[in-house]
Amino acid sequence: MISRRKTLFFLGLTGVAGCSRANRLRLNVFNWSNYVGENTLPAFEAETGIRVRYAIYESNEEMLARVMTGNSGWDVVFPSNYFIGPMREMELLAPLDHSRLGQLGNLDSIFQKPEWDRNLHWSMPYMWGSSGILFNTKSGPSPRTWAELWTSRFQGRMTMLDDPAEVFGAALKKLGRSLNASSERDLRAALQEALRQKPLLRAYLNAEVRDQIVAGDIAACQTWATTAQQAIDAAPHLHYVYPLEGYALYADCAALLRESRRADLAHQFLDYLLRADVAAGIVTYSRTATANAAARTRIPAAISSLKTLYPDSETLARGEWFAPLAAQAQRLRDRLWTELKSA
Amino acid sequence: MRRLRLLFLFPTASILLLLFAVPLGILLVYACMTRGAYGGTMPPFTGESWLRVLDPLYLGIVGRSFLVAGISTLICVVLGFPLALFISRSGPRKNLYLSLVMLPFWTSFLVRTYAWMFLLRDTGLINTALQSLGLIREPLPLLYNWWAVILGLVYGYLPFMVLPLFSTLERLDPALMEAAGDLGARPSQSLLRVLLPLSAPGIRAGAILVFIPCLGAYLTPDLLGGGRTILIGTLIQNQFSNSRDWPFGSAISLALMALVMVMLWIQVRRKGEPLL
Repeated sequence: MISRRKTLFFLGLTGVAGCSRANRLRLNVFNWSNYVGENTLPAFEAETGIRVRYAIYESNEEMLARVMTGNSGWDVVFPSNYFIGPMREMELLAPLDHSRLGQLGNLDSIFQKPEWDRNLHWSMPYMWGSSGILFNTKSGPSPRTWAELWTSRFQGRMTMLDDPAEVFGAALKKLGRSLNASSERDLRAALQEALRQKPLLRAYLNAEVRDQIVAGDIAACQTWATTAQQAIDAAPHLHYVYPLEGYALYADCAALLRESRRADLAHQFLDYLLRADVAAGIVTYSRTATANAAARTRIPAAISSLKTLYPDSETLARGEWFAPLAAQAQRLRDRLWTELKSA
Repeated sequence: MRRLRLLFLFPTASILLLLFAVPLGILLVYACMTRGAYGGTMPPFTGESWLRVLDPLYLGIVGRSFLVAGISTLICVVLGFPLALFISRSGPRKNLYLSLVMLPFWTSFLVRTYAWMFLLRDTGLINTALQSLGLIREPLPLLYNWWAVILGLVYGYLPFMVLPLFSTLERLDPALMEAAGDLGARPSQSLLRVLLPLSAPGIRAGAILVFIPCLGAYLTPDLLGGGRTILIGTLIQNQFSNSRDWPFGSAISLALMALVMVMLWIQVRRKGEPLL
């Protein structure tokens, strides 16, 4: 016989379950740091009643390792453009439904048919950036090429990024080859260049270089435009250069995970991010480069005119998008990278 | 009685099994599998990753890591011994000094390493102080070299040397040194021939506690070495991040563990006494 107490207990349980189903419209979003504004998520939650569980990651590999299992619990992630192809091949992504993304037209024309996802079938470009040279104008005339980072001019006072794709990419550009050249000959040539450069370098640093170039320890460094902009905001005498030989471009794109059972909410969220005023609010806060052209007319001119974040079309034409590397080439490049570090 | 013993051992044993044996088993399985194109592992089973460990390039990195860990341990012994001796002879202040040795553990190791970066930078405290005193004109290149890495390791692991040394030295009868002196030994002789041999167990325990974490250190070489160098900790970390080669990463970790175990085992066999 079920006692009264137990009945109440069971009633309570169903009540809780009922509530959780009705109220808990929840969306799980996994994104890079500094990629939404202070009010972006609260405003979305207030408008739609959807609760957003939001967490950040620091590298594509970190994100991929989490979602690779296929039951990570995330719905929307923001892989870089060169991770879209691999994630699609691993069958981790679900196609986007364009009928539910009414404002895709807000994207900049260069992101309407990008080379990594011709029809935006799997991904929605969100933020983008480049890697070039950040340089202290107090130490003389501005360098214009990667080759100048191979001279003794900044000896001991310059750094490169601590990343094989970036260092070998710059070396390949200096040699006049493609950023994504992946034959053994190309990669070995890039290693030789990098080995010649290593004695001139202070270190291989990623985000840590920002404070050091601001303080004046470092005179020139290879860095990302977003990091460069943060440094320039702190020290206006710094200047970001898009090297003449060409440079790397990347775009972080929103993508829907195949494991997600909240495709409706996810599309609602992506369409919200596509809105011109929302995208404008985000970049006004984050000072990064948005893929949303409609937003650019609404952000303060002080931001939209920043050449570091938004190069002119002539400069942009010199850039090359990162592409995924075939497994064999990836393996070789990692080995060569270890050789560089061991030298 | 037997049952009671099992009952009390159960929590520890299950923690060890769950958090140590099981992950280790997973690593072992990973190390024998094929690398997934974008990370992870897949069948078929292969010994390829193990063969790659023997590549001279990677063996060189292992050798360098042993060298750096060895130098750091040696410096820790040289610095730690006088300190431990001092503390063991400082009577009622012993506890104060011991807690000072352990004080750094109150903040995160990462934060303390960043503090070293702040000290050693070109525009850091040491260089600006020396410059304003007029002792140097150009800043000294203190950061991003081998010595910065070794400094960071010695700093980080010195307490692990001092504590076991202290407990050995504290148990030594001071009368032994007096006896050595009465029998005509000079102070240097009684140090080298009495005190040092008697404190060998403490030095050995401290050396093991310092050497092993130094060998696998990842944070310090990365932050203070500025990525110009590669030690085994960074190599392993790379395999699980940028290189996306989990089988190889697992194989090197296990090979390193095996190597250390063999070294400890030889030590035990030779001395015939417990390690710690």
